[in-house]
Amino acid sequence: MSVPKLLIFILLIFGSSTAFAQHEEEKFDAAGTILHHILDTHDWHITDIPTGTDAEGHATYTPIALHLPWFFYSSRDGFTFASGTESLLEKGYVPYHEGLYPLKAGVSVAEHMDDHGHLEIHMEEEAFKEAYVDEAVTVIDLSLTKTSLQMILIGLLLLFVFRGVAKAYQRREGQAPKGFQGAMEVVIIFIRDEVARPYLGDKAMVFLPYLLTLFFFIWFANLFGLMPFNSNIAGNISVTSALAVLTFIIIQVNGTKDYWRHIFNTPGVPWWLKFGIPIMPIVEVIGIFTKPFALAVRLFANITAGHFMVLGLVSLIFIMSNAGENVAGGLGIMPISVLFSLVIFALEMIVAIVQPFIFTLLTAVFVGMAMESHDDHH
Amino acid sequence: MHTHMIVLASIMGPELGLFFWTALIFLIFFFLLRRFAWKPILSALNAREASIEASLSEAKAAKEEMAKLKADNEALLKEARVERDKIIQDANAMADRIVKEARDAAAEAGAKERDKAKQQIEAEKLSALAEIKDTAASLAVEVAEKILRAQFEDPKAQEAFARKVIADLNQN
Repeated sequence: MSVPKLLIFILLIFGSSTAFAQHEEEKFDAAGTILHHILDTHDWHITDIPTGTDAEGHATYTPIALHLPWFFYSSRDGFTFASGTESLLEKGYVPYHEGLYPLKAGVSVAEHMDDHGHLEIHMEEEAFKEAYVDEAVTVIDLSLTKTSLQMILIGLLLLFVFRGVAKAYQRREGQAPKGFQGAMEVVIIFIRDEVARPYLGDKAMVFLPYLLTLFFFIWFANLFGLMPFNSNIAGNISVTSALAVLTFIIIQVNGTKDYWRHIFNTPGVPWWLKFGIPIMPIVEVIGIFTKPFALAVRLFANITAGHFMVLGLVSLIFIMSNAGENVAGGLGIMPISVLFSLVIFALEMIVAIVQPFIFTLLTAVFVGMAMESHDDHH
Repeated sequence: MHTHMIVLASIMGPELGLFFWTALIFLIFFFLLRRFAWKPILSALNAREASIEASLSEAKAAKEEMAKLKADNEALLKEARVERDKIIQDANAMADRIVKEARDAAAEAGAKERDKAKQQIEAEKLSALAEIKDTAASLAVEVAEKILRAQFEDPKAQEAFARKVIADLNQN
């Protein structure tokens, strides 16, 4: 993450949080909105449509949202499936800040239910845990969340798009590429000639399908992430970690004898640094893990930072308008917000393709390094 | 503030469920894409590149062939030109020779004809001369006979002459 992005990141979280703490309930909570916006959820919430006012004069809304079912492992009940909040509560579990917690026996969260059956727990974590959570039970949430669902949709889109491209090659055999086929061909050939071949040599064609999937999956995910209503896929550390772990496994599986010798018996290093005081092996072993770690964090941080910037700029409108109290302030900042967001969006379009390129390139470089033979030197 | 930190922690900390789904979804689509998209696309690209390479080398060979053919043609043309010159030269020489031969033959024939005519004329002349001589001789004999007959009709003249001839002979 670059320095300016990091600064904005810190400012957004702590600056806005402090403001929030001083005027609870009154001010627009920018940090909370942003953080919740980029988080993975169990609902695919698109928008709320105002439906009028209820008997007490409060505005009512009909949410347009897809509620995804819960699926989790619990040390109490084994693998468990629940269709929604009600079903969860029946089974003795409670959702809190996108997490899932086992309820203590004999307690109820009914007091946190609103009139429409929505569970809204406005409690601090420690108080919540003390009041409701059964600490003896371990819960591992395995639900197919918004992000997972979006990944499936992107996978299906990739399959549809590139099956079409493959068909175009069969249909127009021996002819020059045309239209979308030609556009994708440029990218495919770029990955093959600039990423796979220089670093993987003879094995390039073996790893090319993996590299292509990696590149297009992250690229498409990033582009969708920039569009409204879509999930912020690669800005999620779990997603980038999973991809980095796959790269990690590929590196270790394809590591040659030389690769392991370099780690545990680094050539050109005095023996006492290897066996007396084993600094080199420790450094090298740490190196095995820092490579994929850096991959995961780089992608996550870049995409998240972009989302923070756009959301922060949009939030400025609500901050300046004092959550609707001061319309003039909101209108005043609006042109600046919109203009700046546009610039950031343009930048993010570039980041959306540069980051998958870096991820793919570094995967190729690391795998290539692990497969290298060092017979010619040392 | 506190709730923010919880949310922040959940952004920073991996969630096992999402981690698991990401790996699973990614791998499933990797295998599907590899089977249905990347393999056909990459093999089509390879095939096309191979065919382009083959076409290029073919074109290069054709160009070389063409250059060779052109050089051959030029050599052939040059040869033909030399041949033509030679043929023309030969024809000219032959024509000259034929004309000369014809001329010589004509001259020879003329000369022969002339000689023949000369010989004939000579022969005619000789025969004419002989005939003239014969005629002259017989005429002379006839005249002489007639003169002699007229002179020696008187026997006394015959006797006188005979005597005179004997006298001449005697003198000799």
